[in-house]
Amino acid sequence: MEREKLTEAMAKIVGKENVLSSETDLFLYGYDASLFRGKPDCIVLPGSTEEVSKIVKFAHEAGVHVVGRGSGTNLSGGTIPTQGGIVIHFSRMNRILEIDIENQRAVVEPAVFTLALKNALARYGYVYQPDPASEKVSTFGGNFGENSGGPHCLKYGVTTNHILGAEVVLYNGDVIQVGGKALDNPGYDLTGILVGSEGTLGIATKLILRIMPKPEAVKTMLAIYNSLEDAGRTVSAIIGDGIVPATLEMLDRLTIKAVEESIHAGFPLDAEAVLIIELDGLKDGMERLAERIMEICRKNNVREVKAARNEAERTQLWAGRKGAFGAVARLRPNYLVCDGTVPRTKLPEVLTQVMGVGKKYNLSIANVFHAGDGNLHPLILFDERNEEELKKVHLAGSEIMKLCADAGGTISGEHGIGTEKKKEMLFVFTPRDISAMKKVKAAFDPEDVYNPGKVLPEVEA
Amino acid sequence: MPKKDELITRLKEMIGEAHVIQDPDKLKAYVIDGKKPKAVVTPGTIDEVSKVVAYASQEHLAIVPKGNGTKMNMGGIPKKMDIVLSTSRLNRITDRDCENLTLSAQSGLTLGEVQQGLAKVGKGYFLPLDPPFTDKATLGGIVATNSSGPRRLVYGTARDMIIGTKAVFPNGDVVVSGGKTVKNVSGYDMCKLLIGSYGTLGILCEMTFKLLPLPEKEATLLLSFAKLEEADGFAREMRGSQLIPSSLEILNAKAVQKMKYPVSTPPNGNYLVAIGVEGVTESIDRQISEMSEIGKKHGVLEAVTLDSDKHLAFWIAIRDFPYGLIHEYPNAISLKSNFLISKSGEMLGEYEKIAQGLGIDCAFISHAGNGIMYSYVLPGKNFRSKVNSFVELIEKLTAEAVKYGGGLVVESSPLSIKKKVDVWGQSRSDYVVVRRLKEQIDPVGILNIGRFVGGI
Repeated sequence: MEREKLTEAMAKIVGKENVLSSETDLFLYGYDASLFRGKPDCIVLPGSTEEVSKIVKFAHEAGVHVVGRGSGTNLSGGTIPTQGGIVIHFSRMNRILEIDIENQRAVVEPAVFTLALKNALARYGYVYQPDPASEKVSTFGGNFGENSGGPHCLKYGVTTNHILGAEVVLYNGDVIQVGGKALDNPGYDLTGILVGSEGTLGIATKLILRIMPKPEAVKTMLAIYNSLEDAGRTVSAIIGDGIVPATLEMLDRLTIKAVEESIHAGFPLDAEAVLIIELDGLKDGMERLAERIMEICRKNNVREVKAARNEAERTQLWAGRKGAFGAVARLRPNYLVCDGTVPRTKLPEVLTQVMGVGKKYNLSIANVFHAGDGNLHPLILFDERNEEELKKVHLAGSEIMKLCADAGGTISGEHGIGTEKKKEMLFVFTPRDISAMKKVKAAFDPEDVYNPGKVLPEVEA
Repeated sequence: MPKKDELITRLKEMIGEAHVIQDPDKLKAYVIDGKKPKAVVTPGTIDEVSKVVAYASQEHLAIVPKGNGTKMNMGGIPKKMDIVLSTSRLNRITDRDCENLTLSAQSGLTLGEVQQGLAKVGKGYFLPLDPPFTDKATLGGIVATNSSGPRRLVYGTARDMIIGTKAVFPNGDVVVSGGKTVKNVSGYDMCKLLIGSYGTLGILCEMTFKLLPLPEKEATLLLSFAKLEEADGFAREMRGSQLIPSSLEILNAKAVQKMKYPVSTPPNGNYLVAIGVEGVTESIDRQISEMSEIGKKHGVLEAVTLDSDKHLAFWIAIRDFPYGLIHEYPNAISLKSNFLISKSGEMLGEYEKIAQGLGIDCAFISHAGNGIMYSYVLPGKNFRSKVNSFVELIEKLTAEAVKYGGGLVVESSPLSIKKKVDVWGQSRSDYVVVRRLKEQIDPVGILNIGRFVGGI
C-alpha cells in the first residue's frame, strides 16, 4: 500500500497529529536497543483500545503489518519493523487505570512505566515485584511482550507470574479479554502464552497485574571477591544451604570499573567480582540468615562482606547494579548484550568459557549476572563503525548462546528472541517443537499481521 | 476406523501385549459418564506414547489420558472414547537437581512419592504444590487439571513452578517446551498452554518443576468465630498485612463436621479460620502470636495452635476433603467458584443463604486469600427426585460468582447433573482463540473430545 494512502487512513482514525511519517520519524522508529535496523511505513500513536482496534482492522484488511512498541528498550530486535508496515507507539496510552488494593490488583495501559506504577503503589505500602533494570522507562506492554525479569525474580518469579489478565486486540481488530482479576478462569491460559510472545500473537491494550504488600524488612549485602570463581561458588553454596534470597546479583571487574567511573556505587576497583545479595520478608530471623550468608561468603574466600546500614546505602548499591548497562556504554561506542541462562551450578564453568570466546575474537566482555537464577548478561564491547569487529561480535554472541544451550541452559532468559536469535532457537528446540509453536501463531494470527518474521525460524517439519 | 480386533493387534504391536487391556469386564472400571473405551493402553516410554497417538490420529480414534484416575469425573461428558491412555508406567524421575532447585519427572509418578524422595535429600526439599488426593494424584493429572491447594496463597499454582514440559501432541510429535532454567523466554511458553488444558492439546509425559528447600518450621492456627463478619474481618486484615500466611481458609460448620480431622469447636463456633505459617523458626512464633491478637480484635471464640504431626494431618484432611466424602456421599457434587478476593466473605454468606433457601446441605471451604471457594453439595436420599433443585442451586451459585468477577465450575457430579448444566459455565470472549488453538493443534479431534470448555 502506498505510504501516503496509509497515513491518510491512519489520520482518519487517530487524528493527523498522531501519525508520524517524516524520514526522520521513520529512521527513529527503525531501531531499538539491539543492533538491528528496519524501516516502518508510518508510526501511529493511538489513544484508546478502540483506536488500536480500528488501526489493526484496517491493517488486516489492507495486508499491512503491525508492530507494537513501548519505549524501544528491546534488546533482541523485537520491535524492529523488519518488513515495514505500521508501528503502533503506545506512548499516549499511559494511564494507571486502577489501583485496587483490596483485590491486590492494578490495571494499567500498555505505556505505563514499571517504576511509575511502583511509585504510585508505594503510598499504599504495596509493590509490583518484577524489576527489569530498565524499569525507569520499560513499559508494561513491553514487559508483557518479553516476559521481562529483573533481580527480584529469583524469589518472586518473572513477569508471567505477575500478569493475571489482559485486554487484547486480535489480528483482525477484535477485542478479547484474557484472564482477569479473579484467578483460575477455565479455558486455556491465553495470558500465559501471550506473555513473552514478543508481540507476534496479539497486542495488549490493558494489563491486570498482581500487587502485594511490601515486605516488612529488607537486608542488602555486598560481597567483594578477588576471584570470579569464588563469587560463583558462593552463589551455589547459598542456594545449596537452603536459602533463597530475594536477589543474588553479580558484576565482574570490567563492569565494576565502568560503574565506579559513572555512578560511584562504592565497589572497589581492584575486585574481580562483587555480589549484591538481598533478603526480604519478615524481620524475624533475618539477622541470623544474613549472618549465615556472610559465613558462606567467608568460606568461599570473600575479601570483604558488609551489609547496607540504611536505605541510602542500599539505594547506592542498587544504583550500581541498575546503572551497569548504561555505565558499560561509556567504555566503547556499542555493546551487544547476551542473555543466556544456565542452571546456576554451571555458572563458574560457563563464565570461563565466555571469557574464552572473548579472547578468541579479541573482544572485551563485561559481565553482569542475575547469578541466583543462572542468567548471564555478557556485554560484548565494540565499535559498530568497524565492520570487521561487528562481524566478530555476532559470531561471538552466537557462540555464547551455544555454550549456554550446551550447558543445559537456554538462549534467552528475559530479553527475547526477536530478530537476533531466531537461528539459535535450533540450539534448544527441534523443528517439531518450533512447528508446534507455529500452530499457536496460526491460531492467534493466521494472516501474519503482527510482528512478522520474529521469534520462530523457518523449519521443515 | 479400524475394526476392534485390528485395533487391539496394532496397539499390542506398539507397546506389548501385557500393556493393553481389552477384556470387557476389566474395561468396566474405565467407564466415564456411561462411556466405555475399546482398550486401555499403558505405554512405558514417551516414544510408545507417541506411537499410540500417531496411530490414533491416523485412524481418527479418540484418546482419553489418565493418571491415577482421581479426577476422571471432571469435565464434560466425553463425545467419543476409544482408547484410555494410562501414564502409570511413565514413572521415572529423570533429573533431580536439588542444587539447582529443579526436578524433572514423568507424569505417572504421584506427587506423594516425589515429595518423600525430596524430603530425604540434604536438608530436605519439596515441590510446592498441595492439591487434593495427597497420596494418589499423579504429576500429570495435577498439572493437566491445574489442581492446587491451600498453600497456593504463598507458592502459587502449577503455572508458577513449571519451567519445562515434554508432551506428545495430537499428531504424535514429542514437543519440548521451556527447559530447566527458571528464566526462559526462548519461544512461546507452551508449558502454560498445557497446564490446565485437561489433556486436550497434548499428553503430558514429563515436566520440570522449580523446587524449594523445606521450611525450618511449620504450624497452624485455628480460630473459631461465631459470625461470618468476624471471620471475614480477620481474613481481610490478614490479606492486607505484612505477615505471610501460607494458607488462609474459612470453613463453615458443615465442613468442619465432615472433614477427616477432629476439630472441636466451641458451641457457637460457626466458622473456622485455618491459617498455615511456615518459614524460619523465629517467624513462626511471632506470626502465631500476632495473628492470635488480630483474632481477638475480631471477636475470636477460641484459638488453637497445631504443630508438627497435627499440623500436617490437619492440612491433609483439608486437601483431601472431597476424597473423604466419597463413602458417605457417593453422589456428592463438588463445585469450584472463583471471584474477586475482597468478596470472599460476601460469597460465603450468599452461598450459605442460597443453599439454605433450597434446603440443601453444603460444606464450604474458602481459600480466603485467593478468591477461590469449594462448595461440596451433600445430597441426602432420593438423589434423582432432587436433581432439579441441585441444578437450580448450581445456577444460583454461578450467578453469584459471576456477579463478583468470576464463575463456577462443576468439578465432579453424577451424570444426571452433567446432562443438565454446562460444567464449565458460560464461555468468555477469549473462547474464539481457545477454539482455534484446539483446531490448529488437534485438527482431527482425538484428545479428550468434549470434556473441556465449550465442548472442545
